[in-house]
Amino acid sequence: MNITVKILRFDPEQDKKQHWENYALEVAPTDRVLDILHQVKWFQDTTLNFRRSCGHGICGSDAMLINGRNRLACKTLARDVVKEGGTLSVEPIRGLKVVKDLVVDMEPFFDSYKAIMPFFVNESPAPARERLQSPEHAELMAHSSNCILCACCTTSCPIFWANGSYLGPASIVQAHRFIFDSRDEATQQRLGLMNQNTGVWRCRTAYNCTEACPREIPITELIEQVKRSVMYGQA
Amino acid sequence: MYKGTEGQWAFFLHRLSGLAILAYFLLHVISISLIIFGEEAYMRVHHLYDLWPFRIGLIFVTAGVAYHAFNGLRIMAMDFTGKGVAYQRQSWYAVLAITALITLYTLFKNIPRIMGGY
Repeated sequence: MNITVKILRFDPEQDKKQHWENYALEVAPTDRVLDILHQVKWFQDTTLNFRRSCGHGICGSDAMLINGRNRLACKTLARDVVKEGGTLSVEPIRGLKVVKDLVVDMEPFFDSYKAIMPFFVNESPAPARERLQSPEHAELMAHSSNCILCACCTTSCPIFWANGSYLGPASIVQAHRFIFDSRDEATQQRLGLMNQNTGVWRCRTAYNCTEACPREIPITELIEQVKRSVMYGQA
Repeated sequence: MYKGTEGQWAFFLHRLSGLAILAYFLLHVISISLIIFGEEAYMRVHHLYDLWPFRIGLIFVTAGVAYHAFNGLRIMAMDFTGKGVAYQRQSWYAVLAITALITLYTLFKNIPRIMGGY
């Protein structure tokens, strides 16, 4: 099918602000948005910049604002977002500084991630084999351990757009993964971090994160669970 | 505009109605404090509120307060129970329906006042 791809471009060496550029393309309905961007870069405009690595929805590099919603370019098929003769718009994710074209500075995002102590803490001596966990306990963190840190959720959050100091949904999901891990011992410390004014209370339940997550993590539900854990002091 | 779904608009309207209620309360504080300039100044300003634009405004105030109050209950249900999150969409439509009913009732009651007279 014939479509127009509209990309929000920005070259810090030439442009003062972002501008749209259109590319006419013939694509297959089963092409992914990533394939379409490759077509533009390889055959029409080699100056186009975007991030991608695995191309299979695991590395989380190619989060973009596709047709008004955050999605992974490698997990979005053309037929799901554009019709014959239609326009496909691609913008960088919001709330983070644009470095070039679709590439944003992810450092503030990873700083928030580092702030929640994203590592297993258990000072008790390790058993001879593994630290066992019951299936029921594993179920508690089943969703939050699926996160690939693509930033689709955090950069879809209206609170994060307005207040960059908010840790954001992705970091809270990561905190949830350890708070609800029965083997971890730093629960109270993490609940303390979540209780700060950059933590869970900034969440105003707009549900954009849940809608945007390419891993189908019920993010708002997990954030609410963390809120209740902070409130009742239990996890 | 980010293409969010119900949750985004529920949040946006909650913010907007909250700000409108704040402005309405501030107006109250200012207009009541006018008594320090004497009864005449106070009454002159308060007669303005009988004009039709203010009476139409009253309908919007009622809509804003009803929405903010019932959506507040929806948010509490989400914060305190998992069910609140599971049914957030449906509960938002319920909030909109209740707000519409209350607004329509206020409109019905206020039409004679907007047309003139009490």
